[in-house]
Amino acid sequence: MRTRAELAVLVDLLRGPLREYVRETRVRMAVLVDASGQLLAQQGFSRGYEVTNVASLAAAAHAAASALADMTGARRWTHLHNEGRNQHMLLAPYATGGSDLILVAIFDRSTSLGIVRLFSDRLGERLREIPELRGGGSVRDASRFEHELEGGVRRVMGDHA
Amino acid sequence: MADPYERALESLLRVDGVRAAILVDADMGVPVVMEADAGVDADAAAALGAELFRRSARCADLAGAGSLRTLQLAAEDGHLLVAAAGGLLIVAVAAPDAQLAVLRVEAGRVAGSLA
Repeated sequence: MRTRAELAVLVDLLRGPLREYVRETRVRMAVLVDASGQLLAQQGFSRGYEVTNVASLAAAAHAAASALADMTGARRWTHLHNEGRNQHMLLAPYATGGSDLILVAIFDRSTSLGIVRLFSDRLGERLREIPELRGGGSVRDASRFEHELEGGVRRVMGDHA
Repeated sequence: MADPYERALESLLRVDGVRAAILVDADMGVPVVMEADAGVDADAAAALGAELFRRSARCADLAGAGSLRTLQLAAEDGHLLVAAAGGLLIVAVAAPDAQLAVLRVEAGRVAGSLA
């Protein structure tokens, strides 16, 4: 678990790369969350989105996609693209050496999947160069991951979880 | 190479100086099939080539020039050619001394066969 001070440093470090990502890709909104669903950075137009819910669900999707990748022998998933009528969503996980980070990007026809994917890969390369991400905050421990994920789902679902 | 997409790539790659040939989904900007020399970032060429074409097509439309068919970018160390082929785009990356005239003709022929 990160301390409040570590989290503040991390949030500060992620802001710049994510801002640049949004500028390069013209996605409507991009967020970075950790594998437990904790929101670490957000850029773009977040009005109309419950960002904390997006973060929790992204963590749940990451867990499900990872399990699916394991089961099918694909080992590690790299992109998950949802195509809606007007908007698309791309999820991309980044193994940073410490905890996994997950990018959620929501975009429309003002950009393309190719551009969003290309710069997502480049964002991953930039994040891997951040030494602070290689240290603490690991959620590799399965029981802690499960506990944190449950907490995230409860935040989204309230008493129904 | 049996299918029409791969045949298309093969004919583009036969042109002297062509370093990468990619068929790209025009809407999504993602490669459908591609062949590239080592050192050519084909994914980037596909995504950015498609984006460049999309914006140039809009520019041509606004300027009253009609629909864009081919785009050629000349840079210090090479050329990028993008041609419309129905719902696909043909993206070719070529060396500075490539046979560009032949490449344009070949891209037009491939576009006709795929459209």
